[in-house]
Amino acid sequence: MRRAAPWVAAIAAALLVPFAGPGSFVLHVLILVLMWTTLGAAWNVLGGLAGQVSFGHAALVGVGAYTTMILYLKLGIAPWWGMLAGGAAAALVSLPIGLLCFRLRGPYFSLATLAVAEIVRLVALNFESLTNGPVGFLITALPPLHLGGWAVNWESKTPFYVAAVLLAAAALVSTDWVKGSRLGAYLVAIREDEDAAEAVGIDTVRVKVITLAHSAFLAGLGGGFYAFYFRYVDPDAVCNIGLSMEMVFIAMVGGLGTVGGPLVGATFLTAVAEVVRGQLGLGHLVFYGLSMMLVIRFMPEGIWGRVHRLLTRPRGAAADVALGG
Amino acid sequence: MSRLEVERLSVSFGGVRAVRDLSFSVAEGEILGLIGPNGAGKTTVFNLVTGFVRPASGAIRLDGRPLVGLKPHAVARHGLARTFQIVKPFPRLSVRENVTLAAFLRHPARRDAEAHADAVLERVGLAHRVTVAAGQLTLLDQKRLEVARALATGPRILLLDEPMGGLTPAEVGLASDLVAGIRDGGVTIVLVEHVMKAIMRISDRVLVMNQGEKIAEGPPSRVVEEPAVLAAYFGKRRVA
Ligand SMILES: Nc1ncnc2c1ncn2[C@@H]1O[C@H](COP(=O)(O)OP(=O)(O)O)[C@@H](O)[C@H]1O
Ligand SMILES: [Mg+2]
Repeated sequence: MRRAAPWVAAIAAALLVPFAGPGSFVLHVLILVLMWTTLGAAWNVLGGLAGQVSFGHAALVGVGAYTTMILYLKLGIAPWWGMLAGGAAAALVSLPIGLLCFRLRGPYFSLATLAVAEIVRLVALNFESLTNGPVGFLITALPPLHLGGWAVNWESKTPFYVAAVLLAAAALVSTDWVKGSRLGAYLVAIREDEDAAEAVGIDTVRVKVITLAHSAFLAGLGGGFYAFYFRYVDPDAVCNIGLSMEMVFIAMVGGLGTVGGPLVGATFLTAVAEVVRGQLGLGHLVFYGLSMMLVIRFMPEGIWGRVHRLLTRPRGAAADVALGG
Repeated sequence: MSRLEVERLSVSFGGVRAVRDLSFSVAEGEILGLIGPNGAGKTTVFNLVTGFVRPASGAIRLDGRPLVGLKPHAVARHGLARTFQIVKPFPRLSVRENVTLAAFLRHPARRDAEAHADAVLERVGLAHRVTVAAGQLTLLDQKRLEVARALATGPRILLLDEPMGGLTPAEVGLASDLVAGIRDGGVTIVLVEHVMKAIMRISDRVLVMNQGEKIAEGPPSRVVEEPAVLAAYFGKRRVA
């Protein structure tokens, strides 16, 4: 991480929001924004920083969500530990996927991720003894939790909001940290020219596998949170292509490869998509598709990328790509 | 002692036998010129040696260590670097960042890598362009950048694929001095080049390929007199 102080301040400020007494609907919307931020940032680590476009990230979200559910409902492990385990499980699952799919480049890689996601969806649908098949899982009551003598009230939105802030912070801070590191420089090199990256000694497959694992951990964490917050998971909810597309959408609209982009993209998606769905009754996937086309055409660096460029003095085109955002 | 040994190397693409049964070695501290008409298989030899293309058969050894089967990054790590005939800069990154990425191989700390990159850029004459995006450079400077990036990986042997194509005679002179200087700094060199003046001046030895095969090998002045070479190579190209 390049700048610790702004992060600490931003996270502290976010954690103070519940004290201002927002209604539970406002908190619910903020929770959604932060959950989508986490998921968009998960995709952005791989798709934005490394330029590896995945259309199958819902599979990793699904692994996280199902891990959380199965650990709680079958083994009694609380969902907050389940979220972490969900991230770890998704990262683990991503390793063979990466080793397999990263032998392919460009569109072939993207198609492979689509296939992998479909396989995971079919497993969730048909491996009934583990996943409950199409019925899915429902949490009827969350386990009691005492923090420093306080009993957490699960009827309130506040504990979920705090968890969502920490998750989104983990996603954005880790993105920032990677961008400032040697690993981040390698990712940029891979995005620019894979052959040249190999020629200068960068183990491109290894770097991409590590980055996919990072991305998968965040996606699994987000999936675990989904299970924890909505208390309901089935194959349609967490393993569908629409979810994969929403992750792509958030990262692209916000600004590919930027740190703050997913937060902007998630806000846009949550706010505007609700309006479009509620008022116009338009299919939201159509809306995502149209917005993405407009962004690619008129603002390829995304909303955050554009604002960031306008706010900071240009240091020359070269430096911008390497360090921007 | 041989720095690089290539033994009975072959590869085909579809029906084209791009390299056939090729053997050669490069001594430590030597400059080997590799010449031949377009399509002779020179670039393919580089691709084979650096792990970008896997040979159908044959052996490659760097200081006695087998290289076949290693991926390009591992080959680079062992101390064998290359440039690309068709330049492959990281186009949107600055010149300094391009070379720093290569310098990371031996200098894990960014500060050290950048210092090393700057030193290398100074040496190839790009010190005044460090902040420019690599994609904005002239072709001449992109060729220099190729050399700088390869050099920054700290190689024991450097494979240069037509680094002087499109240069003016004065620039060719400078580039030749640079290559000779790199060798004097302890780096063994294999140079693919069409600019005969440069090859004749700085190569210790020349290997001539045609249609994937070696057709001659020896000191530059003698090789160019061989009838097979004249027929295959000079017959097709007027040499200045
Ligand atoms: N990746 C490839 N796929 C198919 N054919 C190739 C490939 N690389 C080289 N060739 C063919 O191999 C032959 C040798 O090419 P090359 O090594 O580039 O020659 P040179 O560098 O001497 O001009 C040519 O006929 C070329 O078309
Ligand atoms: Mg060639």
